[in-house]
Amino acid sequence: MSDTIPVTVLTGYLGAGKTTLLNRILTEHHGKKYAVIINEFGELGVDNDLVIDADEEVFEMNNGCICCTVRGDLVRILGSLMKRRDKFDGIIVETTGLADPAPVAQTFFMDEDVKRATRLDAIVTLVDAKNLIARLGDSKEAESQLAFADIVVLNKMDLVTEEEAAEVERRIFAINPYAEIRRATKSNVPVESVVGRDAFNLERILEREPEFLSGEDNHSHNEDVMSMSFEVSAPVDPGKFNTWIGELLQNKGQDLLRTKGILNYPGEDRRFAFQAVHMIADGDFVGAWPEGSLRKSKIVFIGRNLNRPQLRRGFEGCVAA
Amino acid sequence: MSETVSDADFLLSERGQGHELGAWVVGCAFSRDGKAAAFALGDGTLRLADPAAMATEWPSVAAHDGACLSLVPDIASGFLTGGDDGALVRTANDGGSETLARLGGMKWVDHVASHPDGLRAASVGRQVHVYARDGRTLKTLTHPSSVGGIAFDGKGKRVAVAHYGGASLWFVNSKEDKPRVLPWKGSHQGVWFSPDGTHVVTTMQENALHGWRLSDAQDMRMSGYQAKIKSVSFTGKGRWLATAGADCIVLWPFFAGGPMGKPPMELAGGDGVLCTRVACHPQHEVVAAGFEDGLVLMAEIGSGKVVPVAAPGRGAVSALSWNPSGTQIAFGTESGFAGLVDLSKR
Repeated sequence: MSDTIPVTVLTGYLGAGKTTLLNRILTEHHGKKYAVIINEFGELGVDNDLVIDADEEVFEMNNGCICCTVRGDLVRILGSLMKRRDKFDGIIVETTGLADPAPVAQTFFMDEDVKRATRLDAIVTLVDAKNLIARLGDSKEAESQLAFADIVVLNKMDLVTEEEAAEVERRIFAINPYAEIRRATKSNVPVESVVGRDAFNLERILEREPEFLSGEDNHSHNEDVMSMSFEVSAPVDPGKFNTWIGELLQNKGQDLLRTKGILNYPGEDRRFAFQAVHMIADGDFVGAWPEGSLRKSKIVFIGRNLNRPQLRRGFEGCVAA
Repeated sequence: MSETVSDADFLLSERGQGHELGAWVVGCAFSRDGKAAAFALGDGTLRLADPAAMATEWPSVAAHDGACLSLVPDIASGFLTGGDDGALVRTANDGGSETLARLGGMKWVDHVASHPDGLRAASVGRQVHVYARDGRTLKTLTHPSSVGGIAFDGKGKRVAVAHYGGASLWFVNSKEDKPRVLPWKGSHQGVWFSPDGTHVVTTMQENALHGWRLSDAQDMRMSGYQAKIKSVSFTGKGRWLATAGADCIVLWPFFAGGPMGKPPMELAGGDGVLCTRVACHPQHEVVAAGFEDGLVLMAEIGSGKVVPVAAPGRGAVSALSWNPSGTQIAFGTESGFAGLVDLSKR
């Protein structure tokens, strides 16, 4: 883990400020060395860093699962970067405005060479405060990019009023209550707030409390992506949970964009952390429950067409007898 | 293996030379005239060794500004490399190097190939550039996705290119550029012709190989591996295809109707260590193999007899090659060790 290189994924619609943020990351004097994988020739001013121009290539894995897609260009480039003698402190992948973040994220779970050399650090989504609501109305990708985000940079704050900004944040949280929103103008966020966040580390799953919207009902919006979370206080049976989640991801994986959970297994002092991107899941024990804490098992789904009663019954059905 | 470490190192210590080169060995090769050996490194340099005087210094040549990505022997002598600096570079046996083409500022030259009749090829992204001996561009061939590998057939008439969704076969000298596409779902990341040019084999993103018999486009699926297959090699006369990607050398029979419906043969297994590189002897049915723990060995296909070349412990084997006469082996590892071993009768 320690000798893998963290990879930050930068998503966001055209004009949201990705290139400005990249330039900021690359020109600030932070003493770090980054490799940057871009998809369109931008105006990047770089001295000490390596910029690689790649075409986004989404490949289906030949395993009959249509949502098991990976980014072939990343498999190739990340595999080769590891052979260089000069090592990087981090790698930043810029995606095109219309990109679905899922194949990028899945590459880090599906490809053995990529897994061996790198780890997914965080998905950072840039949005334009002025135009986000219009984008959400006309594009599925804008929603997916928010659903996948660990950090949302709410950019161009100088162009909106406080009321407009609050409404945009409300819409973002309705899609993804776990996102951390950073307000910015001209992408002026501290580099360390977007790079080196370790958001995909199982130990940090659900570390962040969701932004629940006071007096709001998550269903009142038109968004087609939503999030649901469930909790049980009794211990969860690992066998039952695996059967249930396995079938659920198998059957509904296309609709489930991100799933995260912390589980309390009977007779186990450690927490079990779980995450999935579509159908691809990853889980492990991540250290002891805090002394005196309530050992509640919790699971969160971000996706489309979520059926609340069905998911609740399913999760509650995993309680150990 | 039953040998002790010192036994396993007998050939390297008594009949060879080894050096720590300080960077990932991306590839190794002997020139076609057999008069030089080269190791291409992840720091962009090439190390050259004289097979006739391997104990002398191995000079370093700065070939690429970045990392070497691929290495093959050049047309008659010397070497051809591609790098992540976007350059295609020729390095002569004596270390003189020249940039043949600058193909991309922020794009990489991922794969290179050459043919003794005077052909060179290099891939950048989706394109394969084919060059005549004098450096003139014969063709620029465009594919539906990034190129995973390039291979010339034995006669230098066709070039095969692996990509997403299959492989494309192009005639080097045809006026019209329309490929014969060999389709198979998935991402293909390396390609080889059988020595007689009747079959094409690719390695895939999944832990599998795919092949096509060209006479009738019959598909051949070769799967069951535990890891991605990064190295394959046909025996000299093309009877066997040796492959890495399992905890033994896996050999598929390309005779008596095989490999369709025939089980592969397994050699030099039993240690549970992944085979990472294979290289078949240019004439005899002998295969050299490198493993993830650094072990290098030779196995005779007929008898199954195994002879160690270098002991484990110097990093996963990432490069392996025979000289054209089959008397020497070169190998390199991910942690930067390189070895050259002489097997000729004394």
